[in-house]
Amino acid sequence: MSEIVQSEPFVMNIGPQHPSTHGVFRVKATVDGERVVDAEMVLGYLHRSMEKLAEERTYTQNIPFTDRTDYLSSMSNNLGYCLAVEKLAGIEVPPRGQAIRVIMAELQRLASHCMGAGAFANDTGAWQTPIMWFMREREKILDIFEMTSGARLTCNYMRIGGVAFDLPDDFEEHVRALIGPLRETIADGEGLLSGNEIFLARARNVAVIPQELAVNASLSGPMLRGSGVAWDIRKADPYCGYEQYDFDIPIGYQGDAYDRFIVRLEEMRQSLRIVEQALEALPGGPHSTEVPLALRPPAGEAYARIESPRGELGYYLVSDEGPSPYRFHIRPPSLINLSVLKEMTVGGSIADAIVALGSIDIVVGEIDR
Amino acid sequence: MPTLVTDHWYDFRDLSNLSRVILEGIDKVAPYELAYIVAPIIGFVAAFVIFVLPSQLFVGVYGERRIIGRMQARKGPNRVGPFGLLQPVADALKLLQKEALTPTAADKTLMWAAPVFFVAPAVLLFAVIPFGPRMVFADVPAGLIFFIAVSGLPVLAAFIAGWSSNNKYSLFGAMRIVAMSISYEVPLVLVLLCVVVFTNTMSLPGIVEFQVDSNLWLIFMQPLAFVVYFIAVSAELNRTPTDIAEAESEIVAGYLTEYSGMKWGLFYGMDIGYALAAAAFASTIFLGGWSMWGLEQWVPPWLLFIAKTHLFYFVFIWTRGTLPRLRIDQLMGFAWKFLLPLAVFNLFLVSLERLWWNESDLGGGIVFIIMAINIPASAIAVYLWARFLGYKPERIPTRPRLVREAGGYVPVEDPAAGGQ
Amino acid sequence: MTRWWTGEELAEAAERLVPGSVARSTATACILEAEHAHEALRALRDDPETNFAHLSNLCGVDQWDRFEVVYHLQSLERNQVACAKVEAFDREEPSVASVVDIWHGAWIQESETYDLFGIRFEGHPNLQRILLWDGYPGHPLRKDFLAMPGGLQPGLNEFAGTAAKPEPPVRPVT
Repeated sequence: MSEIVQSEPFVMNIGPQHPSTHGVFRVKATVDGERVVDAEMVLGYLHRSMEKLAEERTYTQNIPFTDRTDYLSSMSNNLGYCLAVEKLAGIEVPPRGQAIRVIMAELQRLASHCMGAGAFANDTGAWQTPIMWFMREREKILDIFEMTSGARLTCNYMRIGGVAFDLPDDFEEHVRALIGPLRETIADGEGLLSGNEIFLARARNVAVIPQELAVNASLSGPMLRGSGVAWDIRKADPYCGYEQYDFDIPIGYQGDAYDRFIVRLEEMRQSLRIVEQALEALPGGPHSTEVPLALRPPAGEAYARIESPRGELGYYLVSDEGPSPYRFHIRPPSLINLSVLKEMTVGGSIADAIVALGSIDIVVGEIDR
Repeated sequence: MPTLVTDHWYDFRDLSNLSRVILEGIDKVAPYELAYIVAPIIGFVAAFVIFVLPSQLFVGVYGERRIIGRMQARKGPNRVGPFGLLQPVADALKLLQKEALTPTAADKTLMWAAPVFFVAPAVLLFAVIPFGPRMVFADVPAGLIFFIAVSGLPVLAAFIAGWSSNNKYSLFGAMRIVAMSISYEVPLVLVLLCVVVFTNTMSLPGIVEFQVDSNLWLIFMQPLAFVVYFIAVSAELNRTPTDIAEAESEIVAGYLTEYSGMKWGLFYGMDIGYALAAAAFASTIFLGGWSMWGLEQWVPPWLLFIAKTHLFYFVFIWTRGTLPRLRIDQLMGFAWKFLLPLAVFNLFLVSLERLWWNESDLGGGIVFIIMAINIPASAIAVYLWARFLGYKPERIPTRPRLVREAGGYVPVEDPAAGGQ
Repeated sequence: MTRWWTGEELAEAAERLVPGSVARSTATACILEAEHAHEALRALRDDPETNFAHLSNLCGVDQWDRFEVVYHLQSLERNQVACAKVEAFDREEPSVASVVDIWHGAWIQESETYDLFGIRFEGHPNLQRILLWDGYPGHPLRKDFLAMPGGLQPGLNEFAGTAAKPEPPVRPVT
């Protein structure tokens, strides 16, 4: 047959303006008909050189930058950066500050996974319905953020040594009102998609990442857990007192796009459990320690990482006793999770490539920084 | 057939009275030929004003968005006019004002011509649909063939659109729509052949008459044909879950990627037009057209027909709001490996039954026996063929495994074997 | 809890696996000899006791007199993290051995480090700029890269045009 029908691969640009690239991200896919034979990614459309900018600003001034890396989970980014500075300068956070940080980080994970799971459903073609359901719940979380920090998306709430403000009085009431409906929405999304034949046909055995590759390619977060590796920094290297809370690590079966989707949904359930427990045991006391505004940590280096919604978010700081970091490096989970894009897409069809890309749950602000 | 409809012009249960009165009046005062010119205009205007345009605007544009909005936990259009009812008008005005961009590298003539080619068949399709007992614009003896032939034309227009845009996404959309159309046309025509064999007529009013006479709709006599028709037609119409030709998450908008302004508006509006035509056709063939077991004596039959069409259209909206999209190879495989054998089986079964009907002396009651045979036979056929193809429902976990402690690898399991 | 290795511990392990691979060690990191770094890192990954199968982080640091490439190695099974460093002293053409063949995940981080620091990774399969465009002048994360237009160096009260090149500050070797 191939002697009669000659086909010739050609390059198709998926992005930078494309509904499914979740931002300005471009894949140069070489396709042979519907089959992808090569995929090369082109980054940098959103590059703001934050690492350079951060070297000119004080440690506290850098916190808003971290909001703008992964703009879907600004609280987690704040937290990771503040942990790194605290590790560098040896600052202790009071228990209430830690509990507030945990609540905020978990709410942020919920909001981010709402977006991630919904956008993934959108990529498989479940036209807008699941994402709208999840967005409805995400909206309530953003309202809580607005109530607490004054901003919805770029919260800038964590501070070195604690958090910026104490919680408002009706915070607990609002969060408790959120938990029930969110559980229902997760169950709804699961009912709509998880057992759906078409969804299974699209997402199962697509973009499979074997365990060895997942570890070797430095993947983290739901990508790693979807491949069946029980790894969660909240468990492995607890920060902010995560060891007090009772939760499980969801892991997938074979590392395909479907596994990553169900892992995200289950993580949302576990996050709700953590939020409930943290609300129960919210300690009193100060929410923050006094930290000098122009902080000058001792010379040295620190690498602190947290489990952000997208994976291991690390901050590597080098101090030279100056008021601003000598070197400020972000380990972006989205970028490193993207490094297996070629392995995931080559050999499948274009539709599979879109599903593979959606299952990574990238945020381009974090990839390009 | 007993009917209460009178011949008075004011009897709105049958609008053909009105047109007859108008035509007779013209005939008296004007030259003989004029009636022949006026008659199609009346038919066209009536079909469009009563059915196509309102349905398209208020069900297709407004209703679809409202219903989808309800499904998606949002409000839908509610700003323009009462309850947002004027939204379609506002949309049309907006589209008229927008610039209809043409890319430099595009084939400009073909790109402008494609929307026109796309619209024209949609208008023709409603010519053969019987809206009521006497309300059919053109009672073509082979109306079914006419409908199939004309409904195959927009694929050509979509292909022209995709090819002339000189865009890779458009080309993908064009190729996909042609591939889909070729695949799904085959089972579609085969199941319509079943209908023709069974009813012994190709005229659409004739098929409705058949269903009225036997007091049973064809959906009950041929459930398998209906299922195959529904799937095939929704694939041909590019409705989710089979909208791969304009799959927005994959190939942006398929063959419509480069279209904007009213050029795009024509495609969009006529997509709804084709969906409505397919719904009207399906309700004519499978849901008894304007008949409703005697209710058509009291309620205007054309209202019943419109209600059935919109019910069918609602199912389109419903699937669009809930189901993910299939991949092209899965869809094509489904057409060739699943729908086609089932359609052939159905044709075989129906031909046998028709032969038996011709030979037997059971009279009209035989259709109920046939119904009793066909419904289980269809279910069994679907089940057995799925098993034969190797599909068996497996227990796929919908929840991941949970572990308590981090560290170490949990071996990959075969999910069918166990797990949570 | 994750065990964070000190530099000495890592130096001991690396020295045991590949003798002569350690240049020196600090409280947090172990600096590997450039010519043995690749071998030592591979051994650190494969040894069952170190088992650093997961490369957590890779980045560069400009220390004025040298470039450091920092590797944060992680073991998921043994739950431990260690920091290794490799130094490149050539200011114009710094180069270290690529670890893509050891950790697949390193390629994108090495590309980024190449893009922003200009450190060449020998053996990298596809070393090219990923964030900035080809032909971008300079490597922005180097300390002598002047970020502001007009050659004004931010943070210092001088014009770069008048001062030929900022003097490297005296820094203790960490």
